[in-house]
Amino acid sequence: MKIKVDKTLAASIALHALVLGYGLVSFSTKAFEMTPEDSVPVDVISPDQLAKVMAGTKTGKKENPKPLVDKVAEAKPIEDAIGKVTEKAPVVTDTAPPPEPKVEEKQVEKKPDPPKVAEKPKEEPRPEKKPDPPKVDPIAEAIKKEEKKPPPKPVAQAAAKPPEQKKIVERHFDQSKIAALLDKRDPTRSAVTGDTLNSNAALGLANGKAADNSATWGSMFKQQVERCWKKPYGGIESQKPEAAFAIRLKRDGTLEGMPVPEGTPATPYLRVYQESALRAIIECQPYKLPAAFFEEWKYFAPVFTEQKT
Amino acid sequence: MPFRLSRRQIITGMASVGLLTSGQRAFGQAPKRIIVPEGEFTPLPIAIPNFTAGTPADAEVGAGVTQVITNNLKRSGLFAPIDQAAYIEKTINIDAAPNFLNWKSINAQALVTGRMTRQGDGRLKAEFRLWDVNTGQQLTGQQYFTSPEYWRRIAHIISDQIYERLTGEKGYFDSRVVFVDETGAKERRVKRLALMDQDGANVRYLTKGADLVLTPRFSPSTQEITYMEFGQGDPRVYLFNIETGQREIVGNFPGMSFSPRFSPDGQRVIMSLQQGGNSNLFVMDLRSKTTTRLTDTPAIDTSPSYAPDGTRICFESDRGGKPQIYVMGATGGGAQRISFGEGSYSTPVWSPRGDYIAFTKQGGGQFAIGIMKPDGTGERILTSGYHNEGPTFAPNGRVLMFFREPGGNSGPSLFTVDISGRNELRVPTPGFASDPAWSPLLS
Repeated sequence: MKIKVDKTLAASIALHALVLGYGLVSFSTKAFEMTPEDSVPVDVISPDQLAKVMAGTKTGKKENPKPLVDKVAEAKPIEDAIGKVTEKAPVVTDTAPPPEPKVEEKQVEKKPDPPKVAEKPKEEPRPEKKPDPPKVDPIAEAIKKEEKKPPPKPVAQAAAKPPEQKKIVERHFDQSKIAALLDKRDPTRSAVTGDTLNSNAALGLANGKAADNSATWGSMFKQQVERCWKKPYGGIESQKPEAAFAIRLKRDGTLEGMPVPEGTPATPYLRVYQESALRAIIECQPYKLPAAFFEEWKYFAPVFTEQKT
Repeated sequence: MPFRLSRRQIITGMASVGLLTSGQRAFGQAPKRIIVPEGEFTPLPIAIPNFTAGTPADAEVGAGVTQVITNNLKRSGLFAPIDQAAYIEKTINIDAAPNFLNWKSINAQALVTGRMTRQGDGRLKAEFRLWDVNTGQQLTGQQYFTSPEYWRRIAHIISDQIYERLTGEKGYFDSRVVFVDETGAKERRVKRLALMDQDGANVRYLTKGADLVLTPRFSPSTQEITYMEFGQGDPRVYLFNIETGQREIVGNFPGMSFSPRFSPDGQRVIMSLQQGGNSNLFVMDLRSKTTTRLTDTPAIDTSPSYAPDGTRICFESDRGGKPQIYVMGATGGGAQRISFGEGSYSTPVWSPRGDYIAFTKQGGGQFAIGIMKPDGTGERILTSGYHNEGPTFAPNGRVLMFFREPGGNSGPSLFTVDISGRNELRVPTPGFASDPAWSPLLS
């Protein structure tokens, strides 16, 4: 087995390898460093899913199995009040052709609503269930009697609820409803009728994939808390300090309790860093964050950190 | 067969792991993390109402202590003391929790309350508390007893406590500075060794001014200084005890001895000895009086300074042509050059924290004060101009003091600057001043 090696070929290969290798090493530069940005999760969803996500009102509860009902009367669900300004459209007479497209839009919007009607039957069984507990619970017979009366008459139960409803319906200025406030054409039109009072609209379906809006309210929080943050001076050494907290906010943007720091700081400087962040969180409340995302920001973890040193 | 089984095992295993992780995702209540990265450094707003007087006679000292603390914190550049005129409560009882709303409304984040009381035995009692206005918690609180004449020191000690608690770093206010006081016309300048508090108060003169004094250096561990004095013959290195006022020559060498500095334990003095046109580094043990040679080069090796752990020495040498900074082991040998910028480097001094070496850099007709890491990286010029020289570190290594000459007929004065280059401030001195050397913390 003689393998004849062409010297020029070998030299050529060696030289090429050398040049290419040198090029690889010398021309490769350090990767361009990007400051990491908050990622906004993006899901590919079907139009049907989108409709489910968008259903309900912005200020509603996340999941509310009961249909939206303002008045006790024959069931006649209507759309939520926010988009109500366009409700005018159906009133237009047949002779006017232009509004037609609007009507079409309405129908599209209405699609998610039918479930509300469909859910109604599910509720009816509830009153029937209520009589059960008394059997198990022998205490307070008087209460039993009271409870036994309502079951057959759902209307009576509805009548008992209003006090609760008054609390919830407490008047407060909601920017998202300005349109509805200005629209004085027909004050009664927005009353949704049904057999049980329930003024709380649903935000959407709990099992629907709610969008992550932390990029929106998170940056609002950042802007506000930064105004109060007197960061301690850490010298010119890059200590890369970090202080994280778990905080619970109330609906009005104030703290529900003291922020809970994550972990105990290892050095005096880290302790001071953590304390400065804690001071900032406390000093800057109440936070003005979009009410629509309250479920997201009522409990979150701000992380104070040093990116550049 | 076993292969198949194992594969099945793997599959089921992976599936269960997947289930577990997905379950954790679904049920784990980890809160959403919001990164807050952009905070800018801002001096901390702090309220320091006058310390209350335990007896009516103590009102003056109470106000004085408050004034010294306010001045210290303000000069550090890390605090923004709020003007007393803005206070809703002018005096505040140290024994009760303050009404924090009054301090929140003037945007104070920290509050200092205190009291000075003359005791029956003539001593002065100083008490203070540091409060976090937003959380309503006491961050620290102390009481001290001292002779009434040392009230300024008490104020400096309290300042250090506040500084340390709010920055996480050791303070430097309870320290002194030795410097060369210069008076008289430029041609006939009288140079005396002087000592003062770091804020410029309590100036004391240590020499009479008959002989020229240069390069005083504080011992890092004792109340002693070493300096160079031009007496009748060659300039000599002296040792001076501040407490006793005693003075002695360090060693008896033929020729000049100069640029002395203490070792970190204060037991040895390292200096340059002249040998013909060259000079080399020697170290002398102050107790046994034995001298050891550290360098042997046909060049000028000078301005040695120990690392705080005593294992290495940085010094200046022109062995490469121009003066540059070198680092070598404390026992000599194997010096490595660490300064490679344009121009020449001199008067290196190692930070008490060990993280930086400060130097004077000369080039382009300018003198600059700068710092670099002991390996020569991270060079940073803090100030530059007609003539800046002689950097010395504060005990916490965060602030440098140096002297600056504006040129012309006027003389030098002392300045401090943060090692980030911020907050350059003039230090008040009675006359012209040069060659400062910062003491270690007194307590």
